[in-house]
Amino acid sequence: MSEPILRLNGVEQIYRSRNANGPGWNQVRAVDGVDLDIREGETLAIVGESGSGKSTLAKLLLLLNRPTTGEVQFRGTSLSALASADYQAFRRQVQAVFQDPASSLNPRMTVERMLGYIVQRHALATPGETRQFLAGHLAAVGLNPPESYLERYPHQLSGGQQQRIAIARAMMLRPAIIIADEPLSSLDVSVQAQVLQLMRDLHKTTNVGFVVISHDLGAMESIADRTAVMYRGRIVEIGRSIYERPYHPYTKLLLDARLSLDPRRSRIRSMSAAPSRSDSSAPAQGGCRFRPRCAYAVEICATQAPALKPVDQAGTMAACHRAEEIGALRARSAEPTVPSPLEV
Amino acid sequence: MSLSPLLDVRDLKVHLRLGPNVVKAIDGVDFRIMPGECVGIVGESGSGKSTMARAITRLMPNVNIAELSGELSFEGQDILAMPDGALRALRRGRGFSMIFQDPLGYLNPTQRVGRQIEEALSCDSSRGSNRNRVHTLLDEVGLPDPANVARRYPHELSGGMRQRVMIAIALASDPQLLFADEPTTALDATVQLQVLQTLYRLHKERNMAMAIITHDLGVVAELCDRVYVMRAGKVIESAETVRLFEHPQQDYSRRLIELSTRRLPRELQA
Ligand SMILES: Nc1ncnc2c1ncn2[C@@H]1O[C@H](COP(=O)(O)OP(=O)(O)OP(=O)(O)O)[C@@H](O)[C@H]1O
Ligand SMILES: Nc1ncnc2c1ncn2[C@@H]1O[C@H](COP(=O)(O)OP(=O)(O)OP(=O)(O)O)[C@@H](O)[C@H]1O
Ligand code: SF4
Ligand SMILES: [Mg+2]
Ligand SMILES: [Mg+2]
Repeated sequence: MSEPILRLNGVEQIYRSRNANGPGWNQVRAVDGVDLDIREGETLAIVGESGSGKSTLAKLLLLLNRPTTGEVQFRGTSLSALASADYQAFRRQVQAVFQDPASSLNPRMTVERMLGYIVQRHALATPGETRQFLAGHLAAVGLNPPESYLERYPHQLSGGQQQRIAIARAMMLRPAIIIADEPLSSLDVSVQAQVLQLMRDLHKTTNVGFVVISHDLGAMESIADRTAVMYRGRIVEIGRSIYERPYHPYTKLLLDARLSLDPRRSRIRSMSAAPSRSDSSAPAQGGCRFRPRCAYAVEICATQAPALKPVDQAGTMAACHRAEEIGALRARSAEPTVPSPLEV
Repeated sequence: MSLSPLLDVRDLKVHLRLGPNVVKAIDGVDFRIMPGECVGIVGESGSGKSTMARAITRLMPNVNIAELSGELSFEGQDILAMPDGALRALRRGRGFSMIFQDPLGYLNPTQRVGRQIEEALSCDSSRGSNRNRVHTLLDEVGLPDPANVARRYPHELSGGMRQRVMIAIALASDPQLLFADEPTTALDATVQLQVLQTLYRLHKERNMAMAIITHDLGVVAELCDRVYVMRAGKVIESAETVRLFEHPQQDYSRRLIELSTRRLPRELQA
């Protein structure tokens, strides 16, 4: 099999911030031991808990953060050892769409200047053809008529329009891989469908790969080859069919928390109980970090942290002592079998 | 007996200047919220949803207005004509508050988030010490370890944590009307459920009216009594939620519902 385009080897990222009262530092272990191969041309979705380290992982892959420990490799070479020529290749081949589109666009430049500069630097089109080149890329992300968007500054665009400018910017360079952090969150479903189709088309014509971080499980199911689920700095499950057959209790909890589209069956409006609480305890010492919220916990979960290991023939991996049992549960019945998060 | 609307918007126009051109971001919108009601606002990206929310709350930094007209009243008071001071008082004391689509643009980067929430608290000393109230709010929006989070700066938080801080700030003033622009886009499904539960509880307990702008029809189905569908600066359809989902009148509304449904597993479809 071909070499992975990007690889994370035992990566940890610890953020330090100054204590509010008194001296000393506060540590946040944002990524806590992640191994991951991202293959040429694949679409890998990363979903999971808010604050679990997904954006941090993206920044590590983009060389915007240096890992506290472990290494990140680009086509087999450690990013810390990239020669400057390789670094240029890396910058061009690995493109990004950031979570806050507004802050990733230069507020003092019009769209045309900002993107035109990139077109010139990478000689994507001649100066005479630049405007037309850009118009084509804006139209492809549903900004019509494109000319009317070229002259705008970022603050003159709606949230979803900014997001699409960021997507167009990443795509026009024809990179080998695009790392996109919540690229669809401000788009209506109709534009979302268009952008997802564009991703598929671009993949077909250029074999571009994607790492897409998203909370939209429906959109990820429709586009991902593989999906990784993160919880508190770790990948707890990764595989091709986690949506139909989750092996990790957290994955199940996430899937069961999806909202229905039936206003007559609203869960929230019919609810009388106090809201469920996420777990605010400090990470458990030694045991499984999902245990405080887990409906399946047994004795061993308190003392032994489960390792990410293969759980089926299809290559799914999960970090749970009871993964096989839980996977079997879902396979037997289509009904949700886990207590809903409202009851846990 | 018919109640009078909490917020009443008639023929609102917000036209923005863009070089030599004018963008009719809002072009004749009627919009109403009754006390204690929850309405959803859905629609195309760029259809004017955020502009409408900003015009109503009169928070429009950085825009060059070509025309702003229509009637905007909150509890019978004319908002468009209101002096800035009175408007600020309305935002701070049990009036309305707003959750912005882009939290990073509205949080103060140089101030710890706990302090920012504290500054937004309503003056109601019967509710315990400020610090406790800040921690309770952080807990209610699903942020683990509130004491720790309160001490951080916005850039030290993840996207979804910042979004929850923004929600906590909006709730701190104990508003009668909460205008929320895409309030849960950066939250995972379990946290989203928890935050929506909190909003719904406050909506019921304190009779807080809500207007929720969202691209997620699931949020509308779960929470909203009524829905407005927007396109190109206009409201193209408004209906009770069940009615909109079951008998959409406009092709665009139908398409939104169909595309959203297609992505759900069968057991969650309408
Ligand atoms: N610059 C920073 N300094 C200190 N802590 C940080 C910093 N950036 C992120 N963190 C912390 O690291 C953890 C992981 O953050 P990250 O942004 O990677 O999460 P995420 O999975 O992208 O979440 P979300 O889905 O909410 O965007 C969080 O606890 C966050 O508070
Ligand atoms: N400051 C501005 N100057 C000129 N035009 C603007 C300005 N801000 C927004 N617009 C334009 O006004 C229209 C409405 O924008 P608005 O942000 O209200 O859309 P929205 O419905 O919130 O979209 P989204 O769902 O993408 O956030 C858009 O076409 C946008 O490009
Ligand atoms: S290892 Fe135990 S506590 Fe952890 S997820 Fe599996 S069953 Fe639950
Ligand atoms: Mg993030
Ligand atoms: Mg908007």
